[in-house]
Amino acid sequence: MTVAAAFIFLLFLAAPIALVLGITAITHILASGDLVLFESYPQQLFSALEKYGLLAIPLFMLVGELMNEGGVTTRLIRAARVFVGAYRGGLAYVNLLANMMMASIVGSAAAQIAVMSRVMTPEMTRQGYSPAFAAATTAAGGLLSPIIPPSMLFVIYGVLAQIPIGDMFMAGILPGLLLAFGFMCAIAFVGWRTGFPEGEAIKGKAARQALLQAAPSALVPAIIIGGILGGIATPTESAALAALSAAVLGLFVYRDLKFSALPRLFRETAVTSSVVLFLIAAANVFGWIILHEQIPQNVAAWLNGLTQNPFVFLLLVNILLLGVGAMLDGIAAMIIVVPILLPIAQTSYGIDPFHFGVVISINLVLGLLTPPVGAGLYIAAAASNVKPGDIFRALSPFLVATLVALIILSWQPSIVTALIR
Amino acid sequence: MTARPVSILSTLSRHLASIEAIAAGVLAAAVASLILLNVATRTAGAALFWVDELAIYAMVWMAFLGMSITIQRRSGVSVTILTDALPPKVRRAAALLVDGTILAFSLFLLWLCWRWYDPATLASVSYSVDAFVGETFNFIYREPTQTIGVAKYWVWLIVPITAAAMTVHALANLLEALRSPQAAPAP
Repeated sequence: MTVAAAFIFLLFLAAPIALVLGITAITHILASGDLVLFESYPQQLFSALEKYGLLAIPLFMLVGELMNEGGVTTRLIRAARVFVGAYRGGLAYVNLLANMMMASIVGSAAAQIAVMSRVMTPEMTRQGYSPAFAAATTAAGGLLSPIIPPSMLFVIYGVLAQIPIGDMFMAGILPGLLLAFGFMCAIAFVGWRTGFPEGEAIKGKAARQALLQAAPSALVPAIIIGGILGGIATPTESAALAALSAAVLGLFVYRDLKFSALPRLFRETAVTSSVVLFLIAAANVFGWIILHEQIPQNVAAWLNGLTQNPFVFLLLVNILLLGVGAMLDGIAAMIIVVPILLPIAQTSYGIDPFHFGVVISINLVLGLLTPPVGAGLYIAAAASNVKPGDIFRALSPFLVATLVALIILSWQPSIVTALIR
Repeated sequence: MTARPVSILSTLSRHLASIEAIAAGVLAAAVASLILLNVATRTAGAALFWVDELAIYAMVWMAFLGMSITIQRRSGVSVTILTDALPPKVRRAAALLVDGTILAFSLFLLWLCWRWYDPATLASVSYSVDAFVGETFNFIYREPTQTIGVAKYWVWLIVPITAAAMTVHALANLLEALRSPQAAPAP
């Protein structure tokens, strides 16, 4: 009881979550009198990170930094406009398409929303879309990032669940497309209700040029997806190859990236990935509590009394996690809930770990866009000068689309597992 | 507390953090290079067996240095929903409490590392590992790494290093916050 109180007190005191986990573990050790655990406490922090799969985290962060600095983002958006720019409401779909392309490069929703909000929202506003809708479309597009591979969240889930990260990436492809389709329906719905401005077509020479310029950028997602799909490279290796190709593109092809910027990019990569790795290290000592207090067994006993049906179980988990995701950062939430809920999902309900991973990932990233702590919402608001409340209202069709996708995916595991060998 | 020691400590903390950032950046570059080296040598049919383990240790060191930097910058992920709603005075108290908690944790971790490496006992048995193990049943100095040929305690050293650096940062942050009349700056 003291342990739970310490956890809740520190969490709401706004202490860094990683430290909340570490300190709660200390209180647990003191309360249980199992002092011998202190002997291995520092080593446990270290060994949490000694995992090959985690190498992908700094590498995918690096790919993102290099792509942004190298001017790849803007070229991808221009290419997307060639395809759908001419239709009524075209730019809204362009935004989504560009977000899908970015999602296949960037592994983090918050990073993607930050970049795309600065580029897409002013562009859509200029063409006559309402700023709130423009910001909402961009923010929703960012949700594709953690589902369409590569995904930081999937790397972490793969490490926590001890399943191959490459297969986890494969599992995300169809759900990512389903989610994108849902967002398209949401855009079409808003267009039907309120009417969209005419699209500006890019034709002839300009179109060819836009495609030609963006073509080398396609190399990066091709390496990431192709390397993993073909089983040629591990996710870690394809991330390193993607970083190399992004650096070469930026330095020598587009020449937007300067050699002098590289040390800063490496420093930023190190610090931003440490925020995540810190959580993983602390979660390892926190895991002692989950183990000793037999939390999964207790929760399982309680849930088994409620339902025997895997689909109902997943719906319950969804409702629980929507609450958790609204309070906690998605990655932190995942690190805390997976060790508790995954054993229950697997042993009591026979749910496939890939299926479970995709469902909870979509669920937790949704928290990025919901108040009170939706980081994505605030990032989008800050980058586009629209009030978070207005964006949230404009987001509602997208949130409904996500919820529908979530229910479909909870009901049909085959959408997730179809592409896994 | 006079102003002087506080500002010396703050300067120390800032310099330490920029050194840590440079080192972490170099390690991030090392991680990428090592993985690429691995791909290249494997494609050439001459895979190097030690590269993966070295890359993992580079990543872990990078992560620990980065942790210390997130403490210094107060940039860790946290739940601010409740504290944001507090009146300024209470919020300041909460922020001070967090800084104090971080300092206590850092010191505790440092102490655990001291007990883990146990340099006092090691010195008392004149640095004989056999005698140390016989005395303490602590196998830290016996643990090998798998492929890179150094004893594991060298690699583990990043934990006490980080604990010490975190202590400096946490103390500097706490003293600065105590001195400034306003609430601690939001991250």
